[in-house]
Amino acid sequence: MCLLDNREVRKGWQPLKDSVLAMFTKHGAKVLSGRRWDERRLAYPIKGQQRGTYLLVYFSANTQVLGAIRRDLQFNESLLRFLLVECEDVPQAAYEPEAAFDINTIPSDDAPPPPPVMSSVEPAESTGATTEI
Amino acid sequence: MSNVNSSGGGFREGGREGGGARRSKFGRFGQKRREVLPEEPLDYKNVAYLAKFVSANGRIQSRKRTSFSGQNQRKLADAIKRARMVALMPFVGRI
Repeated sequence: MCLLDNREVRKGWQPLKDSVLAMFTKHGAKVLSGRRWDERRLAYPIKGQQRGTYLLVYFSANTQVLGAIRRDLQFNESLLRFLLVECEDVPQAAYEPEAAFDINTIPSDDAPPPPPVMSSVEPAESTGATTEI
Repeated sequence: MSNVNSSGGGFREGGREGGGARRSKFGRFGQKRREVLPEEPLDYKNVAYLAKFVSANGRIQSRKRTSFSGQNQRKLADAIKRARMVALMPFVGRI
């Protein structure tokens, strides 16, 4: 999983995605799937960014090239974070085509977080008991 | 010989009338283990589910509270730590 800087994503999603995937293929890894996972507010700011776009990549590679891939990802400044983990099987949803999205719909960092969804509580029927406040 | 059972106040281990065992706070016969369902895996991307096992300060709850087996508790801890690293979950506090 790669966390991408939204400032770079706004410049163009497909070129950015291709450049990230090229880092895997450059070292002989076979990319099985690379999809945009989500765009969301980060749990804590990274490099002054409050929001980021997650790219989920499934790839198969020799374990000896993981160090080189990791080093390339660290040098890329459009990546805020990345995480390489072993995966036993690739979920079927990863092979589905990526949903199209408009980069203009990415909210800015200054946008306030959405208000929490309050569940509506229906007034309880009167049971005869009174509550003193 | 000295008498080890003090007669002072406080709870004495196994000191009930009749010698009964101390009842556990979380159930007398132990808790039922929580199962990991296929639709709710212990994965770092499943943030909404992982957040249930984090305290208000962001600490991972103990096995006593999560009721997971030892294997699944380790998976839970790994998933939460991975989610923290990619800023899906906070290190301190709740989402």
